[in-house]
Amino acid sequence: MIDLKSLTIENTHNHFKNGDFTIRELVDEYLKVIKNNNERINAYLEVYDDIDEQIKKAEEMFKGGTATILTGIPFSLKDNILMEGHIASSSSKILENHVATYDSFVVAKLKKEGVIFLGRTNMDEFAMGSSTQTSAYGITRNPLDESRVPGGSSGGPAASVAGDMALVALGTETCGSIRQPAAFCGLVGLKPTYGMISRSGVISLASSLDQVSPLGRTVKDTEIIFNAMSFHDEKDSTSIPNEMRIIKDKTIQKRIGIPRKFLSGEGIDKEVMKNFEESCDKLKKAGYELVDVDLPSIKYSLAVYHVLMQAEASSNLARFDGIRYGRSVESDKLYDVYAKSRGSGFGKETRRRVLLGTYILSHGYYDAYYNSALKVRQMIKDELTSFFKDFDVFMTPTVPFLPFKLGEKLDDPIGMYLSDLFSAPANLADIPSIAIPSGKSESGLPFSIQFTAPYLREDILFTIGKEFEKLV
Amino acid sequence: MTLEDIKKLANLARIDMEEVEMGEIAKDFDAILAYVGQVQEAAMEGGTRGEVSKVSESYPLYNIMREDVVTNKEEEFTDKIMKLAPNTENGYLKVKQIL
Repeated sequence: MIDLKSLTIENTHNHFKNGDFTIRELVDEYLKVIKNNNERINAYLEVYDDIDEQIKKAEEMFKGGTATILTGIPFSLKDNILMEGHIASSSSKILENHVATYDSFVVAKLKKEGVIFLGRTNMDEFAMGSSTQTSAYGITRNPLDESRVPGGSSGGPAASVAGDMALVALGTETCGSIRQPAAFCGLVGLKPTYGMISRSGVISLASSLDQVSPLGRTVKDTEIIFNAMSFHDEKDSTSIPNEMRIIKDKTIQKRIGIPRKFLSGEGIDKEVMKNFEESCDKLKKAGYELVDVDLPSIKYSLAVYHVLMQAEASSNLARFDGIRYGRSVESDKLYDVYAKSRGSGFGKETRRRVLLGTYILSHGYYDAYYNSALKVRQMIKDELTSFFKDFDVFMTPTVPFLPFKLGEKLDDPIGMYLSDLFSAPANLADIPSIAIPSGKSESGLPFSIQFTAPYLREDILFTIGKEFEKLV
Repeated sequence: MTLEDIKKLANLARIDMEEVEMGEIAKDFDAILAYVGQVQEAAMEGGTRGEVSKVSESYPLYNIMREDVVTNKEEEFTDKIMKLAPNTENGYLKVKQIL
């Protein structure tokens, strides 16, 4: 028996080296849990059939002395990240049989490290959601409390790690989709700087925001995965050049901003705020200076996000036409092939968002919504840039409330959107942000706090994050 | 938002939908548009404070182009990609009559 909950990437690597257990023994432990629990949890949509080959390759790397810290580490993969020869469906019916013809940049990088991809995990359809209830392949349950949602859209990846069905996971984030499930499942989730990790081979939701994001039990685990994937890629025109990634001075001021007004809106749980204040006190005792700050523009972030996301999503999803790939419904007229393939291939939430995006981008409304949103996005960026002159990070709870019950908020789109209230500023400003567990509620549900750092400064999140982990 | 408005959008977006659902969407639309409508207010407010410069001037975005050269071997991916297409004939995608 291996105590799966005690494993990190580093100590697993040492266990492999010391011969405490083999890669195969570890993988078998995870497969056993998957076999017993996945039918209920529904974290995985598919367990891959080439795991044996992957293990063999990793074992050879150990024998040949080319093993890295990630060799043999069991990963789960969100269903919107391409791995050649495997289905990637973005949890949509329209891509039910879509077999990836190439590896995404991140999968190619991690394959070189010899990681083991156990399978693909469930998500909200096209990453449109915050609870993994819009998947075409059923809901995913939160392993910490199976009557509750695991968060979303990376609910499958989060449930796979929290439910001991993978050591770590790759997900994606457009607005909160890694940090919110990390919070709901008691894990660490890192949303990197936009452009740090290539989007090549990742099924798009909103291209100006999408970013592949690692998920694990510790800050260090997310740091190791981030470092293994964070390189320039010419196949992604928004990828940051390597020379820009070099940070010469990594000293920090130990100054944290608290955007007080932003935290006093409606719908923020009292228990969550109490935990937040306790987390603040711990950091003060550890020598950090915490200062209340006024960031008047960030309250608009969520509204701006929804305008941009719907506009970009409706454009991105135009590619699903029933002609080139994906679901196709036979019909006499070309128009009907399009409309019937899309109508039956997309789920309800996707249909609604594509229509909203179509409206927002239509003649007469484009200026009012889309252009206004771009302007406010720039305001938010400017505001945060000047804030970061005097501070290392700003800090908020990750989510305004605790994991909610399955079925809850499904008929209340705005209520559901509020899950991402605190997430949105980082996505809009292209800056990195991390969610870290900060204790448990009386009912045993996980709390989480979030640090957000300047452009390119993941290093600050890792430094403060590791210190905070010790304080909890 | 009326049912007719939603029908028009569904037609533009090429999405076949039941009328019941379009009715529901019309209701959701009003709530969602009221919420995201904040951006207009915010942009105006920023404008009067002189904080919003022209997006094209202040947005630090520029296009990244690569050389217009072929980077793969001929037919390197053709088979794999054509296999994904629902309807093909003699190496071409087959569609219903367009004109």
